[in-house]
Amino acid sequence: MRESAVSFFFRNLFLVFWALFALFPLFWMVLLSFKSDAEMFSTTFIFTPTLDNYINVLLHTNYFRCFLDNLIVSGGAVILSTLVGVPAAYALARFNFPGKEDLAFQILSFKFAPEMLVVLPLIIIYNRIGLYDTYLGLIWVYQLITMPLLVWVLRGYFEDIPVEVEQAAQLDGYKWHQIFWKILLPLIRPGLVAAALLSFIFAWNSFTFPLLLSGIKIIPVTVEALRYIGTDTIRYGQMAVAATVTALPEVVLALVIQKHLVRGLSFGAVKG
Amino acid sequence: MAGLTFKNVFKQYGRTKAQQVFDADKTVALDADKSVDATVRRVAAQIDNQYAVNDFSLECPDGEFIGILGPSGCGKTTSLRMVAGLEEITRGEILIGGRMVNNLHPKDRDIGLAFEDYALYPPLNVFENIAFNLRAKGLPDEEIRRKVMEIAPLMKVEDLLDAKPAGLSGGQKQRVNIARALVRSPSVLLLDEPLSHLDGKMRQILRTEIKRIHKQINCTTILVTHDQLEAMSLSDRIAIMKDGRLQQFGTPLEVYDNPVNVFVAGFIGEPPMNLFKVGIIGNARERYFHFAERGIKVRVPDKYGKAVFPGDMVVLGVRPTDVLIEPDNPAATDAKVAVFENLGDEKRISIEVGPEDYLTLITDNEKRYKPGVGIKIIFRESKTHIFDKSTGERIQGE
Repeated sequence: MRESAVSFFFRNLFLVFWALFALFPLFWMVLLSFKSDAEMFSTTFIFTPTLDNYINVLLHTNYFRCFLDNLIVSGGAVILSTLVGVPAAYALARFNFPGKEDLAFQILSFKFAPEMLVVLPLIIIYNRIGLYDTYLGLIWVYQLITMPLLVWVLRGYFEDIPVEVEQAAQLDGYKWHQIFWKILLPLIRPGLVAAALLSFIFAWNSFTFPLLLSGIKIIPVTVEALRYIGTDTIRYGQMAVAATVTALPEVVLALVIQKHLVRGLSFGAVKG
Repeated sequence: MAGLTFKNVFKQYGRTKAQQVFDADKTVALDADKSVDATVRRVAAQIDNQYAVNDFSLECPDGEFIGILGPSGCGKTTSLRMVAGLEEITRGEILIGGRMVNNLHPKDRDIGLAFEDYALYPPLNVFENIAFNLRAKGLPDEEIRRKVMEIAPLMKVEDLLDAKPAGLSGGQKQRVNIARALVRSPSVLLLDEPLSHLDGKMRQILRTEIKRIHKQINCTTILVTHDQLEAMSLSDRIAIMKDGRLQQFGTPLEVYDNPVNVFVAGFIGEPPMNLFKVGIIGNARERYFHFAERGIKVRVPDKYGKAVFPGDMVVLGVRPTDVLIEPDNPAATDAKVAVFENLGDEKRISIEVGPEDYLTLITDNEKRYKPGVGIKIIFRESKTHIFDKSTGERIQGE
């Protein structure tokens, strides 16, 4: 059915407004990063662009170390989630065991609790067992963010693969790991890519956990950005630079995987 | 090439280990304690109901085409999967070519299985699907190519080799599925409802194909199906199963002409056999089946003279084609036509023998009958079956 020109016009008008509304803070952040302190609070778009903020942040602070820290904990968290989550999703899809649905729901429920709720006991526990302010500690706690998504998306993918396909491969003389690499992995790949990258973005943006469970040796960029709020002054320009550079990998990732993301999260494995 | 044997095979329904141990204990108790009391007997009955396949024995000689036929849930697919090694065998033995395979890995059993819903490998094209097994064996490329090219024309899939499974029709998928089972030159080919997902025309084409392929490669083949027509047309012999138990095993003609019980009689044949609970009346010389509600009497064939007596209740079974219209026969029974259906090459006449009970007869006689008119019928004596009314077993005549 062809839509009328009127509804087409209004629909797109609405989308344009919505895009402006959603993107304006980002736009403002980028603007701020090019402003000098003197012009920081002007609300006109006319100012003399300067790269001072970039030079200050990128060359004279430990911003890159923080960037690297973020990469390590987020990347590590996603890798660990993949290693554990793929077999877990497979087991939840294929095997029947007592308490299966409860377990699956519990994994999902990690997403429900506000981070602040669990972080206080975690601080105490982490201090006791020596995980406070370590890469391992952060990677571990990030599982709360990355694992549920991965497990639930992949479970659906595995459920869509008929078990007979695996049995056929078994009859054909393949070992379980060969079946996984040759048959299952190609089928779950879109979901795996989408879920892994999405959970990477969630982990990358994580703020509460790294703020409270690290901060001396390991400082992810999300936490580092706070440092620009000093006792006497707030360095908006530098903060904007930090935020802009931090957002870059996500923007790039999102653009690269856009197609996978939509397909991977909305399509089954063997449909179509 | 090898024969296939089931020896008293049992398959328990999926149960936990603990439950199995419990059942085993009870079985032992049952064997030890011969003074069978009521509780133990009840447990025995419960255990009996836990088998998806119950004391199943079957001998399939080398090269034969055996159909396992039964309604859904009768254990036929489970039996097949036990041969393939996809289900554990609770008790009993399965032998392929005289070799016990109970504990062999599926891949070492030398069987080819065509799955009901094809189970092709979606990421691979048709060629690689067929070659998948050969790749596992690590055969050199040119030999794989040669073998696939041998099977592909046989299954008429040579034009599809580059296609992905998603782009194939149901019939094509099933051809690839069977090709994949055949390419490893199995001792026993297992077909699990190969035609059930296909539409009428394709079903017929592929049925002929399967027959042709079996003639060509002459491999012991087990076909599992719920469609009696399929089993009748393809099999050298048919095993009919119900509730996990083998009912009858014989050639299509045997099971059609001499069903061992009411279940087999009713399951084989289209339209189904007329089965009615009737009384026996008469005297020492002349006995009649008596449809009490409509007062219809039909002579009991002489061969049952020593098997049934006046006052008995039996189940009478006679196929629609064995009810004959004989207006001039003095022994014929008077009846009234209730429904007349002209199906072109055959005519079906229904005769009311009780409330909601109709005796169907099929004739190729050109005469048309109006509902309500009188008709004289007799049962073909040699094809009139009677069954015990409580056990359902056939009562043999002389």
